[in-house]
Amino acid sequence: MDLFTAGFASMMGGALLRSRVLTLLACLLIAGAAGIFLTENQTITATFYEIVPGLSFAVHIDRLAAFFMLTIAAVSFCVSLYSVEYINQYKHKGLLISLMNIFILSMLLTVAAGNTFSFLFFWELMALSSFFLVMFEYDNDKTRKAGLFYFIMTQLSTLFLFIAFSLLYSYTGTTSMEKIILQEKSTFLFLALFIGFGIKAGIIPFHKWLPYAHPASPSNISALMSGVMIKVAIYGLLRFLLVLPAELWWGLLILGAGTVSALLGVIYALKEHDIKGLLAYHSIENIGIIYMGIGLFVIFSHYNVPALAAMSMAAALFHTLNHALFKSLLFLTAGHVVHTTKTRNIDEMGGLIRQMPYTALLFLIGAMAISGLPPFNGFVSELLLFQALFNASAVHNPIIELVLIICLSLLALTSALAAACFVKAFGMIFLAMPRSAQKTHEASWPMLLGEGLLALACVILGIFSPLYLNSLGYALPNMMFIGGALLFSILFFFLLARANTRYCETWGCGLISQTPRMEYTASGFSEPIVTIFSTIYNPQKHVSKEFFDKSQTLVREGHVEFHLMRFFEEYLYMPIANAAMVIASRIDTLHQKDMGAYIAYVFIAAVILLLWVGWFA
Amino acid sequence: MIALLNILVAVLISPLFMTFIKKVKAWAQRRQGPPLLQGYYTFMKLLKKETVLSTNSSWIMRWAAPINLAVMIIAALFIPIVGIGGSGNILLFLYLLALAKFFMALAGLDAGSTFGGMGSSREMTISAVIEPVTVIVFAALAYVLGTMDIHRMALAVLANGPQAALVLISMSLFIILIVETARVPVDNPETHLELTMVHEAMILEQSGKNLAFMELAHAIKQTLLMGLLMSVLFPYGLATETTLVALVFGIGAFIVKGLCISFFVGLFESSMAKSRLFLLPNLFMLAYFFSFLTILFEVFA
Repeated sequence: MDLFTAGFASMMGGALLRSRVLTLLACLLIAGAAGIFLTENQTITATFYEIVPGLSFAVHIDRLAAFFMLTIAAVSFCVSLYSVEYINQYKHKGLLISLMNIFILSMLLTVAAGNTFSFLFFWELMALSSFFLVMFEYDNDKTRKAGLFYFIMTQLSTLFLFIAFSLLYSYTGTTSMEKIILQEKSTFLFLALFIGFGIKAGIIPFHKWLPYAHPASPSNISALMSGVMIKVAIYGLLRFLLVLPAELWWGLLILGAGTVSALLGVIYALKEHDIKGLLAYHSIENIGIIYMGIGLFVIFSHYNVPALAAMSMAAALFHTLNHALFKSLLFLTAGHVVHTTKTRNIDEMGGLIRQMPYTALLFLIGAMAISGLPPFNGFVSELLLFQALFNASAVHNPIIELVLIICLSLLALTSALAAACFVKAFGMIFLAMPRSAQKTHEASWPMLLGEGLLALACVILGIFSPLYLNSLGYALPNMMFIGGALLFSILFFFLLARANTRYCETWGCGLISQTPRMEYTASGFSEPIVTIFSTIYNPQKHVSKEFFDKSQTLVREGHVEFHLMRFFEEYLYMPIANAAMVIASRIDTLHQKDMGAYIAYVFIAAVILLLWVGWFA
Repeated sequence: MIALLNILVAVLISPLFMTFIKKVKAWAQRRQGPPLLQGYYTFMKLLKKETVLSTNSSWIMRWAAPINLAVMIIAALFIPIVGIGGSGNILLFLYLLALAKFFMALAGLDAGSTFGGMGSSREMTISAVIEPVTVIVFAALAYVLGTMDIHRMALAVLANGPQAALVLISMSLFIILIVETARVPVDNPETHLELTMVHEAMILEQSGKNLAFMELAHAIKQTLLMGLLMSVLFPYGLATETTLVALVFGIGAFIVKGLCISFFVGLFESSMAKSRLFLLPNLFMLAYFFSFLTILFEVFA
């Protein structure tokens, strides 16, 4: 408890004094406190400040909260380490540091919140501080648009949570987290929670803010937002799901939303050429995978299979931690790449592995972890989820079993597409020849250290977590043995192959020298997948050609445009926005009147009010 | 002991199966074909040659071939080749293959040649589309045999005898074998024509020892998938105990069974033409259908 308090105080000090060192210290303190806390089975409950009776700032930390606090603090520590150097490129350094401290603190306190009031308060603080951070480069038009979009979505999320918490209060009569236990059926409550947390987590179809906000914000902030902020929404969903009487269709809804998000997230990521946009879509994918675990937990609990329910929950929680680690690693490395190349378009990069070998290696580790390749941590959590799905027969309900099997195959498709996407990303950014003239340099050591710690965590968790999980009764393969044997034999063959090598230019089909224009581009790479999934992308090609001759054989010049359908934007967001505009313009005409009209409004309003009062009195 | 022997036999026998398929294809075209030991000769020749690396390439290129071979050798632990022994989580096996493919595709992009990029792009596309099929096939296996361990699956088949469902699954496994080993109609191992290349395009920039490793890894992968198919369809002959007789019989049985499958693969390849890349999902849907049907039977039985 003292450690937590010290950590929070230090973080607050960091915000006030704009000190980077205090941030680091605070993260360490809280990570340590949460780590110690996890090993003991106890809870902390305390009230800090009571505004009016019933509304108070309170803290309630149990193991679930401690797990998320550990995740947030550990990732924030690495990100802060990276930021020590990274933020030097910005003008208002002090402001960035303060805001970042407030942001981290609000995330921690949201997770630690002891009642729904403080949860909502810190949730809103988190939303506001992250909004200011997204808007940090506000002189850019796109950033302003992204910031506004993010602001609207995040306020929508708060609105739904507000509805949910009001309902919760009216059902139970308490705001305190530990006392909330609900017996009656609560469809509206669940839907409000699902939408509220779904928006923040970035579940499709509420995902649209992620690919806008992540590219716009500074990279360390993207790392925090994608790595840990969307996990706070996962925490919220879990926290309330565990105390509500879950029904089967809740689980199916969560599982379905998760599967759709996972698959569509990665499919959209494949056609994305903005490196940070690509990573944002992968956040949607991974949140989908986490949701699948949560949905499975509800389903298996409903059918009373506690072992599999626990396995799904373990998969969801472990993937939450893993995604926080490798996604922030990827955002940090991508941040350095974007900073030195001054572009986010991966079609203009290439060959960076020679100028920045360490960044490339770290990005590769992140890419392999997110693709779920052994022996990294992403593999273990996906394996848990796969194993839970493989045991679908335990539910003894044919229809549900088939649903789970279909989800299983879609999960496999997702994970294979993710691997394809990261081959594309790594290949286009780091390999072959540079596609544009760049003066790049390797990241400085504090940045590399921050990234390196994250990468190390990915490797260690991948290799040693199966040992821990097996001690809890799971049957996972021994990754320590597999990893060791792999490393040993790779080294053996590498040393064997090293002798007698010669360097020569790549064969260019008889051309004298190779140019970057001969290389495959990111668009070219993903073209077969776009063709196969053309029903989802709905690509449209507009070709206009001019010819020298009348019979149209000799082309003078041509122009081709490719468009991919933005399904949710065109069919969900725009209709809602347009409807809002139509209603607003109807109401707007009421305002365009003279004095007499306004007096009439007041008169009508007064009459209605009187009648209403008279009716109910 | 059995596990080590599994690896050893898989490594040693793989080039033979590779060449035998070529031989069968040659016979189908009324040619004589290469000598049966050609695979070994080529491997030895490549080992002696110098490795030429592109000046544009990076350490990815140098590590890709060793990683591929090492991964395949570790993956051989998971498949009962000669006998049953060792751990064999079927999903880890699948992901080890994915790991090898990941690095192969990166190496394809590394030299910056158009061929390599084309190969990587196509390979990752095919592997993405076949993945749900593979997982469904594995899920069907786990459903029918009640375990996720390949060695235990073989034991279960040995104990319970053949089942109709396993024949259906075997058809899907055969399609996976064809796809994963880059054979007609998915890919054409014979050609170096850019229209048809997938796997060959990716390893076009490999040479010398690296090429030798890549080719050996590819051959081992084929042997492993054959081993998987056999342990589901016809696991008889696998050594379940470490006696000399059982092991020798296991090796002999494996060679005979492997040659049978190779013969069938050769005939299959000869009877088909390379299909268009974008028609491939149809073939995969067929495999998906077979295994989904199996699961349907199991669920509603």
